[in-house]
Amino acid sequence: MLHDILTVSFLTAFLSATVRLAVPIIYGGLGELVAEKTGILNIGMEGVMLSGAFFSFAGAWFSGSILVGLACGILGGMAVSMLHAFLSIRLAQDQTVSGLALNLFMLGVTSFLYKYMSMGQSYQKIPTLSEIRIPLLSRIPFIGEAFFARDVLTYVLYALLILTFVFYKKTNKGLSFAAIGENARAAASAGVPVHKYQYIAMMINGALGGIGGAFLVLTQLGVFTENMISGRGYIALAAVILGRYKPQGMFAAALLFGAANALQIRLQVVGIGISPYLLAILPYAITLIALIGAVGKRSEPEGLAKPYLKGAR
Amino acid sequence: MTFSNFMEIFVKGCPLILTGLGCAVAFRTGFFNIGAEGQFYVGAIVTTMVSLYAPGMPPLLVIILALACGFVCGGLWALIAAILKARFNLSEIIVTIMLNYMVINFLGYALRSFLMDKAANVPQSEKIDVARQIPVLVRASRFHAGILLALVCVAVVWFLMQKTTLGYELKAVGLNRRAAAVNGIPVVRTVIYSAFLSGGLAALAGGIEVLAIQKKLIEGISANCGYTAVLIALIARNKPWAVLVVSLLYAALQVQAGSWQRQSGVPSSIVNIFIGLIVILILAKDIVPYFRRKEGGSNAS
Repeated sequence: MLHDILTVSFLTAFLSATVRLAVPIIYGGLGELVAEKTGILNIGMEGVMLSGAFFSFAGAWFSGSILVGLACGILGGMAVSMLHAFLSIRLAQDQTVSGLALNLFMLGVTSFLYKYMSMGQSYQKIPTLSEIRIPLLSRIPFIGEAFFARDVLTYVLYALLILTFVFYKKTNKGLSFAAIGENARAAASAGVPVHKYQYIAMMINGALGGIGGAFLVLTQLGVFTENMISGRGYIALAAVILGRYKPQGMFAAALLFGAANALQIRLQVVGIGISPYLLAILPYAITLIALIGAVGKRSEPEGLAKPYLKGAR
Repeated sequence: MTFSNFMEIFVKGCPLILTGLGCAVAFRTGFFNIGAEGQFYVGAIVTTMVSLYAPGMPPLLVIILALACGFVCGGLWALIAAILKARFNLSEIIVTIMLNYMVINFLGYALRSFLMDKAANVPQSEKIDVARQIPVLVRASRFHAGILLALVCVAVVWFLMQKTTLGYELKAVGLNRRAAAVNGIPVVRTVIYSAFLSGGLAALAGGIEVLAIQKKLIEGISANCGYTAVLIALIARNKPWAVLVVSLLYAALQVQAGSWQRQSGVPSSIVNIFIGLIVILILAKDIVPYFRRKEGGSNAS
């Protein structure tokens, strides 16, 4: 059995699936990271991604254009994030309650709209983004196929990751954004426009989460199904914690979850005689174990989920 | 509304009352248990197994034993999240969601292997012996004895929260963890009690649903009530009697939406949107003083 698994074709397919399955989580995780750096905890990432998935499907279906679909997905994600932003920034409500409510609300809204849209007929797949092979790089054994024979959204993600890294590491603006999450009052007295930056961060949160959901529809599946995010939004939250609130760490953690998922899918394909239902437990179990393993090294922003009110003490 | 439709409100409300109570108890202690869905299924699986495999005993005893085992296992399942929270400060929201997906996949496995009814071609367990089912109480309806049990649970949880020291401690921890600790309340132990009770109540809902409604274990029997329960508890502000009222109102809407769907084709998931919207509106209620403050002029800030 082991020599079935340790073949070049298995490993190549496994690595390729790892990246493919990690991309939505990395998008969601990056959006969440930007929000949490400014002290806003968006438990509603699941709902943001679900909204992105549904509206990208609806947009692409009615317009026939992937680009319009993507734009709708981004707007759908942003709508949810902005609602959360309004509740937690302007109205200083409990961010956990707001995020949870939005998740369940979006589950209802997307299921309802999808049923309303489909009404008896079954949808065919919409066209998906095509693969773009990067010359030379995609020829690297194992890694080339996995990382550089992908779609445009994945390449954009690489750029965004580097951009985020540089932003927080090298720029003053990045320092200001990160300072809000640590101590909003201190940041405010240093002249940082706290609420404005928090809104900007939440817009990015929505856009990236929306793309994460849209990615599932526009490049992987070509269809929308009810509750199709199935916990990826929460796994993205876990990836941020595991990655210690750093883009590169979050990237590595998300790849780990992608790998867990890819492993269970590849094992099903190879057929090792274990029930697919048992294998499907694997990614969730690994998320849990990884979280427990990372205990004690937590480095969340000091002021996470604490509302900042101007003039309040 | 016909008589059987009216009774159906209680039938549909029963799992919501119990899971809603479970969420309310946990939320009251500041423990965000989103795992009612998974705990429901733990209860359903365990109750089914006890009912199917328990040796010859008086049927009533088997029912009680099956539900009690479900309760305990559901409680223990919720304890995983409570211990990880207390010991390592891991977010109970993420942990319970992961646990939910694990149980639901395990259920899929169980119904296709050791629990599968060999005679059926679909993933389901064998039918539970009629004597070991929870009996229907009102003729020409599905109003069953489990509903009374749910009502008793509401009263018991209310009593526990309002009239006992434990209830006082649960609420104190939820209000202010540090203040509770300073005043000598054992915070970790309190969270663990509340998580156990919370998981147990959700599991009880699963057990009752199997023994009274389905009479066998199948996939998807929760109908997402574990997630709806979160919203119900939030609307009810975690008060036991309010959970009862909100659950029954929700169930009434559900029954009504079922007939709308048949008549006019409006998908019944509109009820989910409705209840989600209510929670968001409750959160947004502070918008009124916000605008008033604005009108009041600059002296407000």
